[in-house]
Amino acid sequence: MVTNPGKPRPSRIRKTPYEILEPYLFLLPALTIFALFLYYPFARTIYLSTWVTDALGRPKKFVGLDNYTIRLFGKPEFWASIVSTLKFVVVVAFGGLIIGMITSLLTYNRYKGSDFCAAVYAMPVAIASAAASMAFRMIYHPTGGLLNNLFGTQINFLGGTYQFWSVAAVTIWLQSGINFIFISAGLKGVPADLYESCSIDGANYWQKLFHITLPTISPTLFFQIIINIINAFQSFSQVKLLTNESPNSSTNLIVYAIWHDAFRAQRFETAAARSVILFLIILAITLVQFSFEKRSVNY
Amino acid sequence: MSQAKKYRMTKTQKKRMLKNAGNFALNIPILLIILVPLVYTLSISLVNPDQVYKTLLFPHSIQFGNYVNAFTNPSYNFLRYIINSFIVSTSVMLCQMVTASLAAFAFVFLKFRGQKVLFLAVLATMMVPGEATIIANYLTVARWGWTNSLHVLIIPYMTSAMGIFLLRQSYMTFPRELKEASTIDGCSNIRFLLQIAVPLSRPALGALGAYVFLNTWNQYMWPLLTTDADTYRTVQVGISMLYDIDAQSMGLMMAGVIIVIVPSLSIFVFMNKQLINGLMAGAVKG
Repeated sequence: MVTNPGKPRPSRIRKTPYEILEPYLFLLPALTIFALFLYYPFARTIYLSTWVTDALGRPKKFVGLDNYTIRLFGKPEFWASIVSTLKFVVVVAFGGLIIGMITSLLTYNRYKGSDFCAAVYAMPVAIASAAASMAFRMIYHPTGGLLNNLFGTQINFLGGTYQFWSVAAVTIWLQSGINFIFISAGLKGVPADLYESCSIDGANYWQKLFHITLPTISPTLFFQIIINIINAFQSFSQVKLLTNESPNSSTNLIVYAIWHDAFRAQRFETAAARSVILFLIILAITLVQFSFEKRSVNY
Repeated sequence: MSQAKKYRMTKTQKKRMLKNAGNFALNIPILLIILVPLVYTLSISLVNPDQVYKTLLFPHSIQFGNYVNAFTNPSYNFLRYIINSFIVSTSVMLCQMVTASLAAFAFVFLKFRGQKVLFLAVLATMMVPGEATIIANYLTVARWGWTNSLHVLIIPYMTSAMGIFLLRQSYMTFPRELKEASTIDGCSNIRFLLQIAVPLSRPALGALGAYVFLNTWNQYMWPLLTTDADTYRTVQVGISMLYDIDAQSMGLMMAGVIIVIVPSLSIFVFMNKQLINGLMAGAVKG
């Protein structure tokens, strides 16, 4: 502890046992819940990933890293799932960012109706992925859905090569709200005098956008990309509901694969191993974010 | 002269109006992308079954049969799901407010051994995505025989690091003298928390409440894993249970979607500021 010479040290008063205990009592409810439903299952997931389990998820035989090396890395299905997940994450992260960017720029200046537009752009944050997935199931319906009716086609949007893009589009739709909210807040933080001096120099809208706005809000955009990536990695309901529990390999995203391993294949050990991999990926992304955030403070 | 002035006025007015219309028009494509799915869902929920696959955007005829059906159909107990979701979301919200206030209070106003370590332990929970522990959590609650109950939906979510941080930030804005003075006056910690800290942190509590209620209401994966009895089913699982076998159930499904979206959108509209503050604090965890 750093001693502060300017301030007299408070005289030591003996604390009563209750006073010593009290802080822990305040923390007890939160820490108990964390212990039971976060720390324990986290450790348990790592533990289970090194065992073979029975159909009820009880460990039966210790196998070391076999669940990773043989049952996951040795299977093309696993790599296909990882590649699909990464592709999905990139598409959703950038798709969300671009929509967020456009909607924020469109509502940056105030005019009649701009508040309404801003409210609509933020709205998807309130809508559940399960509810949106059910709505989009009707929109994508192969014979009588909105899209096919509009185009006069009979495309099976929820199968084949369309499936990936259909699921990604719903996810971008869901994420567009949070992108709008954050990027909008970032835009409002750009100092007005930056634009003024630029206008005097005769810069047009696009020059201002690329030379002032984007560089200034780049930390916001970076942060938003990270949020999009983490959220996209966690997509589940849209995969399960839009593909009717039968995604093809392009849509077999990691969380769906975890669920499928555990609840359809009764392979809790590979579900656990996949969960550990998901955790490591998210951890890596979070660490990248932290290191960049530290650097961008000097900005 | 006066006529010329008048003319010029209307010209600038016209120009401004055109500019405004132009500005608004640029919004139309994305406005449609966001709004059309919702309008279409509403339309499908209102048309006759024979019109379901023919509707473009607006319904030709309107009937409320699907909504009546959603609440009266004995095999699809929607009212039960709504009540369950309300109980669960409200309980999770209130519990998080309590546990987060208590924990944040200890971190900000009290000094104790292991404070830093415990704070890091709370911080670390934000690094673990819920989906990575969900299987082990399911196995735990299954072993305890908690599946098919409402408490299995509530207890695991009774606290969150986000809530603790949100309130901690709020408490840190209090003037230092506030706590010191009340301690000297013999105010106990719990009384300080209840009578001073809680009322002063109302904006943060509102943000936490709106965010947590909405998140719990919108939850899908955990209720899907832990409940399969109709009595304990929540809304999101409820609406996704029906399959689009025929036009009849399609309409019912869309009515279900509209019914569960109404509370979500109500929070969005009536608690917009709180919700957005909560979202901004909780975004990282998704």
